[in-house]
Amino acid sequence: MYDVAPTHAIGLYAALIFLPLAVLVVRRGRKHRTQPGTVQIACVLMAVTGVVHLSLIPDHLATDPLTSVLFLFNGVAFLALAGAVRWRWWRLSSAALLVATILGYLFYVDFRLEAPDQVGLATKVIEFAALGMVLVPVLNEKPMRDRPWYWALLASGLPALMLVSGTGVWIESLAHPDPRHVHAGATLQSTNVVPTSGQQAAATKLYEQTAAAIVPFQDWRQAWAAGYRPAGSTDMPSTHWFNKAYEKASVLDPQRPQGLVYANTHHGPVLLGAMFQMQRIGAFGPDPGGPLTAWHQHENICFTPIGLEFSLMTPYSTCPFGAIDVTAPAMLHVWIVDNPKGGPFAVDIDPAAVAAIDRT
Amino acid sequence: MKGVNATSRPEAAFVLLLMQATFWFLAGISALPFVLGGEVYMLLLAAFSFALAGFTVWSGMEVVWRRTWARRAVLVLEWTCLIGSLLMLALPIGANRGPVSLLVNSVLPFAVILLLRGKAVRNQFGTPRSVTG
Repeated sequence: MYDVAPTHAIGLYAALIFLPLAVLVVRRGRKHRTQPGTVQIACVLMAVTGVVHLSLIPDHLATDPLTSVLFLFNGVAFLALAGAVRWRWWRLSSAALLVATILGYLFYVDFRLEAPDQVGLATKVIEFAALGMVLVPVLNEKPMRDRPWYWALLASGLPALMLVSGTGVWIESLAHPDPRHVHAGATLQSTNVVPTSGQQAAATKLYEQTAAAIVPFQDWRQAWAAGYRPAGSTDMPSTHWFNKAYEKASVLDPQRPQGLVYANTHHGPVLLGAMFQMQRIGAFGPDPGGPLTAWHQHENICFTPIGLEFSLMTPYSTCPFGAIDVTAPAMLHVWIVDNPKGGPFAVDIDPAAVAAIDRT
Repeated sequence: MKGVNATSRPEAAFVLLLMQATFWFLAGISALPFVLGGEVYMLLLAAFSFALAGFTVWSGMEVVWRRTWARRAVLVLEWTCLIGSLLMLALPIGANRGPVSLLVNSVLPFAVILLLRGKAVRNQFGTPRSVTG
């Protein structure tokens, strides 16, 4: 969702190349010059989204002819409407086409006919803006009989459509992440698929060395004395503790893991495992166990200094007020407790395992 | 026809402000599941986000009514958003630099500023409501 699909990149280039041309035509054209600014903006935006749809046809033609036909219809219709501003039914037709296109995209995403990506979502943002510009009544414009209806439609319909589309895309993206996004907000390191015997041995060695090294920290007071501190609320089921002194320590040193993970149980913190972390954003660490010890990087997370809490960035790339969008350096967990849903190096600990520890 | 184009700028700005408010509203909603997960301060952030979304819609409506204070408030808000988003892009914190982020966090505030700046637009504000409305 936060990446540009390589096959869709052409849509971005086409939009950027065509935008100045569309602005020029609308500003200079006799038909458009006499229209209100909102209509002119709508025409430019519809022309741009039309070109994006047309540019995607060659890539979809071989694999998905039906979608290519729909793209062709969309592209031609948007370009035609961008030119036909004096047509009596322009406003109604443009609004209908924009709503149909936005809902069509949502249908494609939710029925997994297309994976959401930045080009698709950016095009939707352009279409939302175009829809708003089409609907908004303008002062000094020829009086509109249905003026109050347009205001009501704009003020309620546009936000509703945006919320439905945004949540629809988001739910689908979280429910069915691609293989490299196994956990909400985390991107996995690329590795070979099946571990070799050497990688299996290396993973076992890393696990045994790390598990032995952090035995003393089963008493959280020892961890505290060693410099580990909770980074975030201890009201959550588990909390990461970090040691600032080890931030710049050598990578993947079992004696000096950058973090520890504790379950917050009713009888105090219980050690779940260790966490190794890279110093820089964007670089994955050494991967001795291949697919068994793939690192992961939390991207597009909203971080707030208030209480050191996190949430996830929306599909529209916004965070709650007071939080900023960050990417955490790549990390690798080593779970020393039984983790049935992913094993000792999984991105996450099974919540059921944490709950079971709390019950003991 | 210049007059028609000039007077439609506040309405165009309203559309963009309505979109921006919806983006913030969704951001506020996105914080709520984390409150249920134990991140209590996220409730505060969600409340701030909803309040900001409400203020943005209200300011947008007042811009349509050609209120001078609303134009100023929106310009301050959008400059703050624009500077904040550019700062996020410049800092090495791994902020998203995709097209959606650029459109929503940088291009949209910039477009609102462009729509509401300039003498011609400023002169339309502050006129009696009966004339503009």
